[in-house]
Amino acid sequence: MRVSLNWLKEFVDIDQAPGEVAEILTMAGLEVEGIEHRAQNLCDITVARILDIKPHPRADRLCICQLDAGKEEACVVCGATNISKGDIVPLALPGIKLPDGTLIKESRIRGELSQGMLLAEDEMGLTDDHTGIMILPDDLTPGQSLSDAMDLEDRILDVALTPNRIDCASILGIAREIGTLTKRKITIPEIQTEESDNLIEHLADVTILDSQGCPRYTAGLVEHVRIGPSPFWMRYRLYVSGIRSINNVVDITNYVLMELGQPLHAFDHHRLADRRIVVKRAEQGQIFTTLDDQTWYLDDQTLMICDGKEPVALAGIMGGLNSEITENTTSILIESAYFDPIMISRSSKRLSLSTEASYRFERGIDIEGTDFALKRSLMLIAQLAGGHIARGIIDCYPKPWSPPKITLRVDRANMILGTNIDIKEMANHLSSLSMAVKVVDQNRIEVRPPSFRVDMTREADLVEEVARLVGYNNIPVTLPAIRPTEENIPEFVLRDRIKTMLVGIGFTEIITYSFISPQSADVLGAGEKSDLRSFVKLLNPLSEDQSVMRTSLIPGLLSTVRLNSLRGQDDMRVFEWGKVYIKGDGELPQEKQVLAALITGMVSTQEWYQEPSEADFFDIKGAAENILEELGIEKVEYKRNSPKEGFDPHEYARIFYSGSEIGAIGKVSKDVLKGYGVEKKAFILELCIDTLLPLVVWVKKFTPLTKFPSVRRDISIIVNRSIQSAMLVDIVKEKGTDLVESVDIFDLYQGKQIAPQEKALAVRISYRSNKRTLRDDEVNKIHEGILEEIRRQTGGRLRESPPHTS
Amino acid sequence: MINLRGESRLKDELLGLRTKALQELESVAERSDMEALRQLYLGRKGHLTLLLKRLAELPKEERPAIGRLANEVKEELTKAFQSVSDSLATKEMEEVSTLDVTLPGRRTPRGHLHPITQITEEICTIFSTLGFRVVEGPEVELDYYNFEALNMPKDHPARDIQDTFYISDNVVLRTHTSPMQIRIMENQSPPVSIVAPGKVYRPDSDISHTPMFHQVEGLLVDKGVSFGDLKGTLATFVHQMFGSDTDLRFRPSFFPFTEPSAEVDIRCVVCRGKGCRVCSHSGWLEILGSGMVDPEVFKIVGYDPETTSGFAFGIGVERIAMLKSGLDDIRLFFENDIRFLRQF
Repeated sequence: MRVSLNWLKEFVDIDQAPGEVAEILTMAGLEVEGIEHRAQNLCDITVARILDIKPHPRADRLCICQLDAGKEEACVVCGATNISKGDIVPLALPGIKLPDGTLIKESRIRGELSQGMLLAEDEMGLTDDHTGIMILPDDLTPGQSLSDAMDLEDRILDVALTPNRIDCASILGIAREIGTLTKRKITIPEIQTEESDNLIEHLADVTILDSQGCPRYTAGLVEHVRIGPSPFWMRYRLYVSGIRSINNVVDITNYVLMELGQPLHAFDHHRLADRRIVVKRAEQGQIFTTLDDQTWYLDDQTLMICDGKEPVALAGIMGGLNSEITENTTSILIESAYFDPIMISRSSKRLSLSTEASYRFERGIDIEGTDFALKRSLMLIAQLAGGHIARGIIDCYPKPWSPPKITLRVDRANMILGTNIDIKEMANHLSSLSMAVKVVDQNRIEVRPPSFRVDMTREADLVEEVARLVGYNNIPVTLPAIRPTEENIPEFVLRDRIKTMLVGIGFTEIITYSFISPQSADVLGAGEKSDLRSFVKLLNPLSEDQSVMRTSLIPGLLSTVRLNSLRGQDDMRVFEWGKVYIKGDGELPQEKQVLAALITGMVSTQEWYQEPSEADFFDIKGAAENILEELGIEKVEYKRNSPKEGFDPHEYARIFYSGSEIGAIGKVSKDVLKGYGVEKKAFILELCIDTLLPLVVWVKKFTPLTKFPSVRRDISIIVNRSIQSAMLVDIVKEKGTDLVESVDIFDLYQGKQIAPQEKALAVRISYRSNKRTLRDDEVNKIHEGILEEIRRQTGGRLRESPPHTS
Repeated sequence: MINLRGESRLKDELLGLRTKALQELESVAERSDMEALRQLYLGRKGHLTLLLKRLAELPKEERPAIGRLANEVKEELTKAFQSVSDSLATKEMEEVSTLDVTLPGRRTPRGHLHPITQITEEICTIFSTLGFRVVEGPEVELDYYNFEALNMPKDHPARDIQDTFYISDNVVLRTHTSPMQIRIMENQSPPVSIVAPGKVYRPDSDISHTPMFHQVEGLLVDKGVSFGDLKGTLATFVHQMFGSDTDLRFRPSFFPFTEPSAEVDIRCVVCRGKGCRVCSHSGWLEILGSGMVDPEVFKIVGYDPETTSGFAFGIGVERIAMLKSGLDDIRLFFENDIRFLRQF
């Protein structure tokens, strides 16, 4: 809320500088987010009197004003039509800079000398009015500084209100708070009105048919008003509060709203059928047009203000076009009511229509204050729009409010706060907030909060008020007892370990948005029943591209590649550890932890010590092996058994552990790359953490280090290219029993020296026993057996055998 | 005038010179010193040359013997000087190595953890040492946990502050990590002390908002926990996170699920409180929201508000990361430009 400091000063004495006021409010929970200095540049603008106006000899629309500016006279060419001889006006002389940055210069306009500029209100940043030159009060003296003469110097505090402090959504409310915090009494405007002999009961009638929706309805009436513009001071205050000026009567209702926090509505009394007001629910399907010319279809939950025939206002939200104040209005009925917060909130949400009025009703206004606000508005109408106030007001208030009674226990408050405040101090703080306070015994205070503190219903609310007034920063600092934490959740331990390892082997972590485009399932080539299509859809997404929760991390990885590639960064190793969201039968989807990594571009760049090389399948496979080794998951199988969505059908592998699939690696298919606008080959790894988790070997067991030497034998064999090398390794391990310590594929040859459908593999076997030194002949026997089995199973032939080494 | 004594004296001098020269040569370490020494003995006005000139003063018959000796000495010294000169040169060569140590080393590639991960870990580690256990929970969340159980029934005005992504009438993307308070308390009796990091979502997108961001929730519930304990715990956190000389202040605020509620501000890390653009000229930066758990929340999870009390807090991870790094556009976190990530 934007609050004028000058306006506040009408309600409470303020000696503090604006910055100090802001600090006091902020530290009491009314955060001041900014202070705006108004009329900062207006002290240089001069009050001037128009001595004479002559038409411009060469321009029909311009005139030449002769001005008395106090010490000097000036001649100004002007295009406005609202000025006449004798008017007092604001004048900017040459050298002055206007708030919008315009520098005033002496110039010739169509040949005539112009020594300055006469100003409209908007040109000085006072209001948004540009209907003509601002006409100042007659009693100002030419030569005076405008801001001094009009007392324009002001600060606007921008106060961020928390939802509980609706009582502060007014000048009065903030003034009350300042009064409490600075120990000053506040001044409430005095109501002095002269009422006519026409009794309001004879002129109008109010009936509440829904007293739950409308516990109080107060109305007043003014006859013979003249609708016209509001005076400058009122328009200025509304303008700085962010409210547009309409006419004097509507402006007054808004002015009182800002001043006292009570929303008011002005009806054209003569347009009310039967001159009566009925408060009731709308009929289902009823159509209603609000004064902003929008048409609404209502339901029977909407509270309406009706006349004798039809609805005239959406209660607590906005008036209707049919009873709006026009320039011909002469008789006005002012509504000052209290509506049920929940009912107004629901209607406002259903209609997506939020106004200054609904904002306040929703949070709860001061039910006891409706009559005062009404009288204040009647007085201002009489002052500014003339007219006769009808005698009395209508006040339908079937069940008057009675304050809740809350007991504050001093020991409880001190326990919660960690303080040692005595009962008297607590009572004093609470009564300074206009609460009725009764000390019951040594420990208990009975508190009756004022009607405007709708947020005070429980003991906890009072504890907070005590803390606020004591000052949060005066509460002593203590530390709770520290308990040892329970065991860490394995998944987090694992996550830290894997992430650290991936960073160590060159992968950079990315975090992408959890929402993606629903098109992504198609782009990834997902099958009809694929989980990739089990989208959790957002009802109100920011865009179509972010309208479903991701079912795969691949879109995020590839979008990241694309973005970086567009910026010239083609070589990347990245990973993301995050959730995918799979819609299931339950109300909430399955959230699965997935690790995905990607390699693209060059894995090693051209350096003085190395040749460049491009990423391939085995770079991503190496990463997978690294991770699984870190987790102690051995005996993993890589199988190219059935195509995997999103992967190149020739370069992928599913990863299995004892029969269950734990992830996949491979080259991203051309279609997918195209779908994400990626040009270079990319290799991806996906691991399903939830499946992996139970397989992790947490405690690593020690294997004794054998003292006996190993015997190494190399095999070089030519096999068909379709033979997977894992087959050889398996044979070695199986036939070699526990004497095989390790098997490594250390060379691969595919080339001119052998047939095109063949490849040559070199395998190194290390034999070792942990009980004794192996003899050559026993190793040879096992080795021969292995060779025989390999030949038998693969149909391969031995290449010239490399010399045995040991 | 010339006699035997003259001859033997010259011989002695010659031999003495030789010994002295060899001795001095031995202690030479620099090539320049050696050159000077060579000049001193073998140069045109060197000791040996001068001595040789004196040969003429000897009787004729004596000259050949002494002359031979003199030549031997000259030769010997010349060789000795050459040899020392060579070895010094080699030594110098060895010292002036050809290794270009400024060439870049052979590096293994190195990755980077995302800055959000780093800050989240830092926050969680601080609270772990204070006895808080790390837990996580669902991001697609029931309205009940995200709002209702946190004392925000359907028509509560506080719901307006947080725009929400809806999945259905009853399911939302969580707008904060606070639902974890309820999920934990529902399943555990006091005492409770947890921190819950994770992703949260709100439909906002500009220089200071992204539709997804990260929070760390904290909750401590026990007998006799006070607002003073909240202050102590969060002060410890601030001092560990931003340095022990960082001023902080607690300011009344409002959250439906805590009362009293407090915002925590720290002295602006950019201007040190003088006032700058980052702190909107206030000298303070808001870094987290906190408060004493509202008795209403305890009732909802079945705790007795008369015997238990506790505090809760929520920390915006991006906010902290931005303050620490000086970043002013939150969107960069999720753009994942490699050049950005490499800076952390």
